[in-house]
Amino acid sequence: MTKEELETTAFLARIAIGEDEKDKYLKDLNQMMSYIEVLQEPDVSSLKPTTHVTKLRNVWRDDIVKPSPKETVESLLNAAPDKEGNFYKIKKVIEAQ
Amino acid sequence: MEKILTLTIGEMREEFETKRLSSVEAVKTFYKRIKEKNPVLKAFLETREEKALKAAKESDERIAVGAQNIRALEGIPMAIKDNFMIKGEAMSSSSKYLENYISPYDADVIEKLKNAGAVFLGRTNMDEFAMGGSTETSAYQKTANPWDICRIPGGSSGGSACAVGSGMASCALGSDTGGSIRQPAGFCGVVGYKPSYGLISRYGICALASSFDQAGTFTRNVKDTAEIVSIISGKDYRDSVCEPNEYINYAENLNNNADILKGMKIGIPKQLKDYEIDEPIMEAFKKAVKDIETAGAQIIEIDAPSYKYTPALYKVIMCAEVGANIATFDGIRYGHRSKKGVSLNDEYAKSRAESLGYEVKKRILFGTYVLGAKNYHRCYHQAQRVRTLLINEIEAAFKQCEAIFTPASLQMPVKFGESLREESDIFIMAANLAGLPGITVPVSMSKDNIPIGVHFMSARLTDKRLFEIAGGFEAISGWKIQIPDI
Repeated sequence: MTKEELETTAFLARIAIGEDEKDKYLKDLNQMMSYIEVLQEPDVSSLKPTTHVTKLRNVWRDDIVKPSPKETVESLLNAAPDKEGNFYKIKKVIEAQ
Repeated sequence: MEKILTLTIGEMREEFETKRLSSVEAVKTFYKRIKEKNPVLKAFLETREEKALKAAKESDERIAVGAQNIRALEGIPMAIKDNFMIKGEAMSSSSKYLENYISPYDADVIEKLKNAGAVFLGRTNMDEFAMGGSTETSAYQKTANPWDICRIPGGSSGGSACAVGSGMASCALGSDTGGSIRQPAGFCGVVGYKPSYGLISRYGICALASSFDQAGTFTRNVKDTAEIVSIISGKDYRDSVCEPNEYINYAENLNNNADILKGMKIGIPKQLKDYEIDEPIMEAFKKAVKDIETAGAQIIEIDAPSYKYTPALYKVIMCAEVGANIATFDGIRYGHRSKKGVSLNDEYAKSRAESLGYEVKKRILFGTYVLGAKNYHRCYHQAQRVRTLLINEIEAAFKQCEAIFTPASLQMPVKFGESLREESDIFIMAANLAGLPGITVPVSMSKDNIPIGVHFMSARLTDKRLFEIAGGFEAISGWKIQIPDI
């Protein structure tokens, strides 16, 4: 992983990393790259990938609305760092040109 | 006092029902122990004495009315890992990100335990978001091993393992993504169990890696585990990977009878020989194998060459899933929000940077990298295929034997700041990769008086059988339930 790749990855992950931290991240992450190499070793081209181990498919439930108690809604909203009425308050998503 | 602290659930229930002991007395005894020892051991992040005593009093009232009112875990004092939601109470997953978080609802297992009458003593320390094997990545405190306070208790459920191992709780909940219950259980001298994937609902538990995560237990013996699992397992529509099981009584006919081992085939991986194993563990394991043979079991060698890919497989898949799961931590709906953000993206990035620990951020970055459009096929997709290879080999092994038997860890608990060898837990980690049930049973003490555990793993959804096998072994292991002088 190069410094540029680290910066791109950190942007994609939405994690701010300081200039002074980059060397440490690069050292550790480049060490972890060896895991990827190890996994190229076996020929698994004929095998299907395992996403999970259950044999369950299409887990449905009846499409019935179960209203949450008012207190649950309130406590969920109260957990927000910033809110207005029944909404979460966030910074502007689309910046004006 | 010591007697109350080491009672099994079954024994405690008998004490309650014969009125020799009340739940209030038991709970008070545990809090006395917590007040004395927790300042040194730091297993609990927070206790809840008032609430616990209220619940214990209610249990005592039910017991007084008579047998028909007594619930399955009536009045039993239990510790809860800090990643299970208890309505109206704090849950932090030992992270600064969730420092002020109050759970708006109960986790499914918490709901079930409350209905069964269990009394929660407090929340226990863990590695931040369960990322670690020593409980040292907690943003709050370092938990000590109760048998040697200079050493780690293991992790990530180190607080729960320590609480039960030191006699500060009679049982505890933990979560296990790559051995996080079964490794610390071995280090602290208690029974630790991870169920088959899909047996217990994860609703209301803070996620780490969703294709591995399972909730499980710490107890003093196998029967206690089976009793709790009978309560907390079962279908929950809120966790879509939950198996649609009807109620199963896992403790029924569980008699800790070594006769069950007669004629049974127990497999030992050939690959054990490829790794360095600490001397005390090797000695204890050899003796355990001999005991099992003496009990009439047939030991066979199984061959699963892909064990060697376990650390790599685990890291790639786990980090990918971490990267996806932690995306929910946006600092908008709950958790820490940076005051320094100048735009929405900047606010996300700074909120995480300020409140997450290095280990967590490193794993998110690696996960994001392996899931990147350019790398996905070579990294994540390839890992999922190698996972299939390992699963196929283990499934083939289960055609030759009923259980796979290994040490719970290849290494003794290290001192704070030292690292465990990466391969020390690969044989228990395989259970997460393949979705299998696994259980650590304490077997003996080293010369330095530190516990050693062994581990049984069986085929998927044969958890009841696994308890019978582990219970049978427990009957001949010679292990005596004990807590340390601290």
